[in-house]
Amino acid sequence: MNELAKELAGRYGARGWHDIRKDLASVEVDAIRIRDVMAYLRDEAGYGHLSFMTAIDNIERGAFTLSYALRDHDARRGLIVHADVDRAEPTVDSIHLLWGQAWTYQREMREWFGIDFPGSPRVDEEFVLEGWEGPPMMRRDFDSLAYSDATYAERPGRVTHDPASHMREKLYPEAAQ
Amino acid sequence: MDIKDFIAPFAVWKRAFEKPFTVKKPIDERPGAPRYRGFHMNDADACVGCGTCEAICMNNAIDLVPAAGREAKDGDSGLRPRIDYGRCCWCALCVDICPSGSLSMSNEYVWIDRDPDVFRYVPGVEAKPWDGSALGYRRAEGYRLLDEDRVPMPELGHAEAVASFLELVRGYSRAQAEKEADRCVSCGLCIASCPAHMDIPGYIKAVRDGDMDEGLRLLYETNPFPEACGRVCTHRCEEACSIGSGGDPVAIRWLKRYIADQVELSDYAKALPRGAAPSGKKVAIVGAGPGGLSAAYYLSMQGHAVTVFEAEEAAGGMLRYGIPEYRLPYPALDKDIGYIESLGVSISRGVSIGKDIELSKLRTDFDAVYLSTGLPVAYGLEVPGEDHPRVLDGVAVLARATRGEELGLGGRVAVIGGGNVAMDAARTALRHGATVDILYRRREEDMPADADEVREAKAEGARLVEKAIPLEVRDAPDAAGEAALFIWNEATMVQKEPGKRPVPEPIPGAVREGRYDSIIAAIGQGPDLSFIAESDGVPVKRFRPVVDSFGMATRAAGGAPVFAGGDLVNDRKDAISAIADGHRAAIGIDRLLYGKGA
Repeated sequence: MNELAKELAGRYGARGWHDIRKDLASVEVDAIRIRDVMAYLRDEAGYGHLSFMTAIDNIERGAFTLSYALRDHDARRGLIVHADVDRAEPTVDSIHLLWGQAWTYQREMREWFGIDFPGSPRVDEEFVLEGWEGPPMMRRDFDSLAYSDATYAERPGRVTHDPASHMREKLYPEAAQ
Repeated sequence: MDIKDFIAPFAVWKRAFEKPFTVKKPIDERPGAPRYRGFHMNDADACVGCGTCEAICMNNAIDLVPAAGREAKDGDSGLRPRIDYGRCCWCALCVDICPSGSLSMSNEYVWIDRDPDVFRYVPGVEAKPWDGSALGYRRAEGYRLLDEDRVPMPELGHAEAVASFLELVRGYSRAQAEKEADRCVSCGLCIASCPAHMDIPGYIKAVRDGDMDEGLRLLYETNPFPEACGRVCTHRCEEACSIGSGGDPVAIRWLKRYIADQVELSDYAKALPRGAAPSGKKVAIVGAGPGGLSAAYYLSMQGHAVTVFEAEEAAGGMLRYGIPEYRLPYPALDKDIGYIESLGVSISRGVSIGKDIELSKLRTDFDAVYLSTGLPVAYGLEVPGEDHPRVLDGVAVLARATRGEELGLGGRVAVIGGGNVAMDAARTALRHGATVDILYRRREEDMPADADEVREAKAEGARLVEKAIPLEVRDAPDAAGEAALFIWNEATMVQKEPGKRPVPEPIPGAVREGRYDSIIAAIGQGPDLSFIAESDGVPVKRFRPVVDSFGMATRAAGGAPVFAGGDLVNDRKDAISAIADGHRAAIGIDRLLYGKGA
């Protein structure tokens, strides 16, 4: 594993190699190198399988962290590659030419996080949110309550009670005077 | 052609009677996955109606509504969540946050009805077919959105504590206080349980925001003794705390202390409201304990000139003379009292009403009188030998410790009783180097003392003798007048009436004795009503002045109206109740003086 860490660091400036388990590690790279890193890992390092890819909204540092989970079935080991992309302008190279199934994940991330993968097939089509017009809902600044208040009507007959006021009314009404 | 080619078509028939791998259509049942997030369930008995589910709901799908057959009571609002499935997105945050853990989800997700209003119901109150389902979504073991552990309070070790009168509880740092304040969900269940109904969520929010002036202002709205109550309050609020339904309750008392500790007395006036313009009315208050001074504070805020008469040489009442300084250091108490005095409240120390001045004179010289004299008279042991010179009264021992007098307790001390005075007397004796036995007629769990006090007294080395019924005090042989024999009967607890607490019954022949240098009796106190004359018109029933909801005892002709409160009147007999009584009486007196409530 350390050989690979050194190789990735030397070739692509990878950093932060972390052994999660004996058979699973993670490493960070710059988003601009992602396609080169993936091609190297697939063709030279034995990680022939893309298990899945996803994104994490690290709003605190203004980045989406893309995570690519790879698997080397012969060596029975996994590697997760992380790459931060600017949250204000989230555009990343597509890897669908390396792994055909990647376009599905990329279409999902386009819809749910608003991350663009230029050239990825059907990337702008609806994925699961039919007719969705709001902002990407997996972004952490998506205000679900404000969205539903603005989008859905309140059913008539709803009423709620504040516990403290309700208890004052029931238990010590004299204090309300 | 091979023979197999002929047989093969028939060979598949042997599979005809096996269970098929495919699913038979039409599909009649579609069971949810075991941890599927389906319709909600609520254990309505465990639910405390705090509304945290409503607060976290991202879709405004939850309302808190009164539930049939559930009344509001201490620690339970009587409300239960109603879920609107027109809005619920099944995210289960409500289940994850629920402080009591009562809320869960079944894995049932199919429900068809033509009436859209049925998809809004109160789980656990309105019965549904999936109630009690073992499958569905539960908060995973160990997964908590709320912190169930209280930030530990730095305290002196027991060995160090018992060697001095240094304050045991050190107080939170800013980081600790803010972390603890973060545990509060602002449900407000605690407010009803506080006798003074303090705005607890409000001042905890002030701690979170780091706004001490705002915190202090909120404290003084209902309680002018935040330093004292922040240390020794009976904290009923914490018993009601919704976070306590699934973990440690929020350390409300210590957060109160934190606020008061952060603001210097010289800065109080900047944070707190100014009093009203002078009204020209004069009010006399008898007793400078927490109740009397609380009334004094609120009356003075309303512009009335207040004079407090205190028989002792220092103000503070039981907070000063009944509570040892390792629990409530005098500088902290002096800070509370100092602020009240700074507003112009005059305290006449060493003046005893009934001896130095008659109550009737106060009724003539002032526009209103408030009695808050507490319970100064200790009950005796009521056994033969109770007037033995080595039998001491617990409150008197604590008062002498406050005055710095030599206690002369000797090396072996028995404390008789199970209340806070007994625990304080025992711990004071321990700090004077004595070995201490605490003898109580019932069991430890029956003790009226705070559980913390009992635990600490034991940790500091006091030995607890339970189920000990006092029989007699006798002179110790060869040490007449110097030491005494305390004789008790071991008891067994008998459930005499169902639903009532068990009664100790002496075990025949199980008589025990111990030799002690001092026997401190701390089995309760009564009032001293000798200063009230019949002509004062104050109605007294069972040794208590009878008062209305504002604490008024009389407005009979021939003098100013008389109000009363505190331990003298109420059943709770703690500082915060006396403070609440004082506040209420101040409102009552103000209304009367301005003719508002006549």
